Amino acid sequence: MPTQPPSSRSLRFSILSAITFLLFVIACNAIADAPREITMGLVQKIFYFHVPCAWLLMLSTLVCAGGSIAYLFGGSERGDRIALSSAELGVLFGLCVLVSGPLWARAAWGVYWQWEARLTSSLLLWLMMVAYVLARRYGGPSARRLAAALALFAAIDIPLVYFSVRYFRSIHPQTTVVSTLVPGMRGAFWLSLLAFTVLWWLLISVRVAVEDRAAEIIDLEVLLDQAEEKKA
Amino acid sequence: MKMVVLAYGFIWLAVFTYVFIVGRKLGRLGGELSELRRRIDKIRPS
Repeated sequence: MPTQPPSSRSLRFSILSAITFLLFVIACNAIADAPREITMGLVQKIFYFHVPCAWLLMLSTLVCAGGSIAYLFGGSERGDRIALSSAELGVLFGLCVLVSGPLWARAAWGVYWQWEARLTSSLLLWLMMVAYVLARRYGGPSARRLAAALALFAAIDIPLVYFSVRYFRSIHPQTTVVSTLVPGMRGAFWLSLLAFTVLWWLLISVRVAVEDRAAEIIDLEVLLDQAEEKKA
Repeated sequence: MKMVVLAYGFIWLAVFTYVFIVGRKLGRLGGELSELRRRIDKIRPS
């Protein structure tokens, strides 16, 4: 099985970890220094972590769908491993969105949750990623194709999540909110988005490495059985 | 202030917990791989 040598992989993880740490230090400083929003005050700063997490939920779903396509139509085992790893990250960052969003909403809207288009479609997307991971964990080998089809279905929800604030009656801030930020806020936002994206890259690399090792173990166990049979 | 601390705290906690779980799994699988390679080398010395 062609996988990266452990030494080059460790070096890549170390470099990515260092870059991620540095970017988060810079981003957190920029967030702390960013001017306070007049009407919402300090609670607006949730935005700097909430939006990057929402972006990573969508990115994870897209990558999961891409890997699933490679597996369903090309039989790619690596695509399947990337899809599973990505779905897990979708669950992680989706959970962060669904916790940080209501905390902001409580302060901004007076309620934690509203059954409106953006929130409902985001919850639906997260639930589909949870369903994917559960199917893979407990469904056995036969659930791989079913889970892959579910990932394609989840990808269809992404445009619905993104454009929901434009085409449905919604109290959620519009997608154009970033362009209305003052320069201090905008810089902090883009830095945070970059830091989270590099973190995602690091996490997916490590998670795919776990799947690679698990697949390599299965191959080696078969090899070991064959070698033991020959010896006997 | 409480909401900001809760939101940031939850996100960091979730990410660090995930990193810990995945890191531990990676290490465990690395150990299993080394053990399997050692056993194969023992049976089939190259």
